Amino acid sequence: MNSPWMVETKQLTKILGGRTVVDRVDMRIQKGEIYGFLGPNGAGKTTTIRMLLGLARPTSGQIHMLGKDIRTERIAVLRKVGSLVESPSYYGHLSGYENLETVRRLLDAPKSRIDEVLAIVRLTKDARRPVKGYSLGMKQRLGIATALLGAPELLILDEPTNGLDPAGILEVRELIKSLPRTHGVTILISSHLLSEMDQMATRVGIIAAGRMMFEDSIGRLRKQAKGSIRLRVSEPEQAARLLLSLGCQAEVASDELTLERLPDERIAVLIARLVQADHQIYRVEESNATLESIFLQMTGTGGSL
Amino acid sequence: MLRVLSTEWLKIRRKWIWFLVVLGPLGAVGLQVVNYGLRYDYLMALYADDLWHGLTRNVNIMMLPAMFIGLAILASLTAGIEHQTNAWKQTLALPVSRSSVFVAKFVLTALLLFVSSTLIIIFTIIFGWLLGLEMSPPMTTLLQAAYYPYLAIMPFVALHTGLSTIIANQAVPMTIGIVNMMLATFSLWMPYWMPWIWPHLDNRYDEPLYSVLAGIVTGGLVLLTSLVVFVRKDVR
Repeated sequence: MNSPWMVETKQLTKILGGRTVVDRVDMRIQKGEIYGFLGPNGAGKTTTIRMLLGLARPTSGQIHMLGKDIRTERIAVLRKVGSLVESPSYYGHLSGYENLETVRRLLDAPKSRIDEVLAIVRLTKDARRPVKGYSLGMKQRLGIATALLGAPELLILDEPTNGLDPAGILEVRELIKSLPRTHGVTILISSHLLSEMDQMATRVGIIAAGRMMFEDSIGRLRKQAKGSIRLRVSEPEQAARLLLSLGCQAEVASDELTLERLPDERIAVLIARLVQADHQIYRVEESNATLESIFLQMTGTGGSL
Repeated sequence: MLRVLSTEWLKIRRKWIWFLVVLGPLGAVGLQVVNYGLRYDYLMALYADDLWHGLTRNVNIMMLPAMFIGLAILASLTAGIEHQTNAWKQTLALPVSRSSVFVAKFVLTALLLFVSSTLIIIFTIIFGWLLGLEMSPPMTTLLQAAYYPYLAIMPFVALHTGLSTIIANQAVPMTIGIVNMMLATFSLWMPYWMPWIWPHLDNRYDEPLYSVLAGIVTGGLVLLTSLVVFVRKDVR
């Protein structure tokens, strides 16, 4: 099978203890992309990634990576995939160099590759220290180095910035952004923070309650963001009734009216009519829906936050 | 497979595992040093017709419980390396088959126990010489006394490799290991088909090799069963 996709899942489903954690997910990732896999905690991101890596078995559905079926050609696929799943895994009693060596032996990569990846994540200086003495950011970078060790074509990073301080987040982000350019790697990166993906991803997939809600470019996601117009007036209830009689639905919240986005002329007319009806208008504001708010809308977590 | 084993070898560096591998046999022979120290005249008279044989038998009394608990500790330590930071998800997402990862853990534990068994022979010989026994020890007796129980105990090595890798909470295999050690101590009252008695090499036909054979065959079956569970299990 010659598929153009680096990753392609069809109707991927995982049921754990009677609960459908991943529900018929279709995911497609193109070569050279940074694919942002977004969703609130517990949406099924990690479970999906575990299935991609062959760590968990799908209840039903198919996974093709690099054009190969993961069920029949798991080892051949994993040879070209680097991964970092959730919290970094390391052997604390071994040094950073030795940690990489344990993985290098399994990958059969050249020894020089260890120094290369250490340089990429800038851990060369600390490579001889036991990893248990590393900071979380350093452990996470070691995890990324491990993932890069086999010179993968596809890099799967699950929440790589989780638990890092702002400086660490920035560092990891810059590192990830530079990879497709410098090494031609395709990256799947999951996160629960949209703002983070906004700065990294070329395409995003949004998952909520196990279902894929959206899969397209960030630009397309922005277009979905409908703006609105807010009015602060002296008597909102009456003003809303007047606007309704003019054919315009307005939502009333305390002393504010919220209208959907309208053409300029229409707004001008509506405001003129309000003024004629002796309403005092204090503010007219346009608000652009942020990506965050679309994200919250889609994932339905707005209420619970 | 050898690649996987070589990484396992690397992972147990600086983990005090080698210390335990030496400590077990040293303890088993050490207790005989005390035993012979306290009742030298009595023991030398008791085993007068075959002093080496007597010493080997006494060492064996301490060796078996030490092996039972020792194999549980070794299996737990070698698997614990992965459990600590849940490194399974890293190891098993590498291009290696799950069965080779599992078999490597088994082979590692079995090899470490083999080193301990070999050390038992060496320490026994050294102690025998210190006691002033003949300079040429009965090597067949000594080798059989160490390696036959080693082979007969394989079902437990396989069981603990399975328990320690499949269950993250190492208190479970350790508890089972302690129970096994106690059962083995009282196993001479057990019927011959029970595996706890096999390392004592005591069977109805008076042929130690039957115990060894039962151990190897059962060990293989337990290993295969654990392997299937391990391979099918989802990694957390």
